[in-house]
Amino acid sequence: MSIKHIARTSYRALWVNKSRSFLTVLGVLIGIASIIMMMSIGKGAENLILGEIGGLGAETVVVRPGQEPTGPTDVAETLLGDSLKDRDVDLLRKKSNVPDVIEVSPFVIVPGSVSYGGDTYRPMVIGGAADFFIDSFDAYPEEGVLFDESDTRQKANVAVIGSKVKEELFGDKSPIGESIRIKNQSFKVVGSLAPRGQVAFFDIDDLVIVPHTTAMTYILGIDYYHEIILTAKSADMVEYVIEDVTRTLREAHGITDPDKDDFFAVSQQGLADQIQIIIGSLTAFLSSVVAIALVVGGVGVMNIMLVSITERTREIGLRKAVGATKKNIMNQFLFEAVLLTSIGGVIGIILGGTLAFLISLVLAQTVAPAWTFTFPISAVFLGLGVTSLVGLVFGLYPAKKAAEKDPIEALRYE
Amino acid sequence: MSKLIKATNLKRVYGSGEVETVALKDASLEIEKGEFVSIMGPSGSGKSTLLHILGMLDRQTEGTYEFDGKTIDEYDETQLANLRNESLGFVFQTFNLLPRTTVLENVQLPLIYSDVKESEWSDMAVKAIKAVNLEHRLEHETGQLSGGERQRVAIARALVNDPDVIFADEPTGNLDTKAGIDLMSIITDLNKEGKTIVIVTHEEEIAAYSRRMIKLRDGLIEEDKKISK
Repeated sequence: MSIKHIARTSYRALWVNKSRSFLTVLGVLIGIASIIMMMSIGKGAENLILGEIGGLGAETVVVRPGQEPTGPTDVAETLLGDSLKDRDVDLLRKKSNVPDVIEVSPFVIVPGSVSYGGDTYRPMVIGGAADFFIDSFDAYPEEGVLFDESDTRQKANVAVIGSKVKEELFGDKSPIGESIRIKNQSFKVVGSLAPRGQVAFFDIDDLVIVPHTTAMTYILGIDYYHEIILTAKSADMVEYVIEDVTRTLREAHGITDPDKDDFFAVSQQGLADQIQIIIGSLTAFLSSVVAIALVVGGVGVMNIMLVSITERTREIGLRKAVGATKKNIMNQFLFEAVLLTSIGGVIGIILGGTLAFLISLVLAQTVAPAWTFTFPISAVFLGLGVTSLVGLVFGLYPAKKAAEKDPIEALRYE
Repeated sequence: MSKLIKATNLKRVYGSGEVETVALKDASLEIEKGEFVSIMGPSGSGKSTLLHILGMLDRQTEGTYEFDGKTIDEYDETQLANLRNESLGFVFQTFNLLPRTTVLENVQLPLIYSDVKESEWSDMAVKAIKAVNLEHRLEHETGQLSGGERQRVAIARALVNDPDVIFADEPTGNLDTKAGIDLMSIITDLNKEGKTIVIVTHEEEIAAYSRRMIKLRDGLIEEDKKISK
């Protein structure tokens, strides 16, 4: 029996019961659509974050409090740690400790909103060195100046604002010399930046930079940093810088067991690897949860195949009488099950891809302008492979049952 | 004429122990090529069982069966399926056509399980359909046909592989008298052209078309006689 005739027979059998076939395969379809969607969005998130990290530059080393994250829950810890203090920054700045570094810049993140007159806006507020950020992000002041080290030393209430912040609070008016409020503190705007867009997690246009000393003392009331960014002399030296930083801080914090580190230093590459691991494991976890839907869908397929075989008992008897072997019958029903689930797989892949595309559009319009739609080709092969496998596995038992039917009993079946 | 079927001391027992039923006690018969044999008997006489064994859809519990000079008792299921495909044709009381499928495709069905090249299927099927006078119905679906026409499609299907013998199990059972007579005249013509026919029936009028009548009762052959015409 040629594949062509198996295919035609299967197609006809499925087409006769169009709605039943569709409902049967819905479980498989939804399962595959969800997996495809998850993989696509996971990949999109990964690309987005990797792109952002890439914006930091290959010479950058980031030091954060807490343990190096290996899973999603560890990330929260690094935001709450209080182990990086002034003394650490001073030690890292010493050439004798970390020789291959050009710049050491600590910063803190200030939650909350900014207001001017009656207007309130929620930009990203960070406490750090204005010139460091501006250099790192390749931005420049459009109006006014940047605050400098003496402002930082004096804990001056000065701020540099991004172009979007300026537009939201001041409109066409010049912001220079005006006072804005962050929490309960008043800050004088000394400079506003030209539009720059998103670089390395920071939407420069949506940024307000104040001296970290002022932020820590008057706004946050803390004596530790959220992050220290170091710039190595060259990308090749990043590894040495990480070694030196780790050694210096372990000494300073009196840590002998590396497992008890209360900080971690990573390069851009290290950060990228971490993110990939976290997103990859998240995607895999979610996909495996969704895979349960495939099993449920497969059981549905098996159920309907059994019904179909009972309905077609006489047909099976007749086919055997005119010369169909067990193998012929088995192949026919197995093919039918695989065809059914594969059709579900194809529709599922298209549906999942479409949904992921729409979600990408929404994300790009709202929270993540740099988001791009990614459709992993591997997901297509995986989807088709998995659906065919579901058809094979769950079609095997019904097909075997069909093949085992006794022709005489089958022909007599009412 | 040479022997096509040689069955010796066929016995068929269903079940075992308390529920054991003997459907066929001891039947021996020989059928030569070109014969037109009817098997008669009341229900429960074992006539269908005998037909199923001769048609290789069932196996005897005891006895031997030689078909065309070969003892097929040791054949496995696949070998039997192939032999049915090449050498036998079946006509059933309930037609057993594929629904929502054209006459042509129904008649081609045995060929898809055969070694015959696909390019020849259509010609072979059309030839068989012409033999039952249905060439004007080739592309009709079986649901559009009358009972008599459907049974003629079934005969065409049985003919398509040019079998050594056609087994018909109560072929007129679901037809009215007129359609039954038409069908029997087609079967008679096929026999005249040389086909071996074995037909199971409980109607004397139908058996009267044949040239040899075997009567079964309680699993035994009660009578085996030539019908003189």
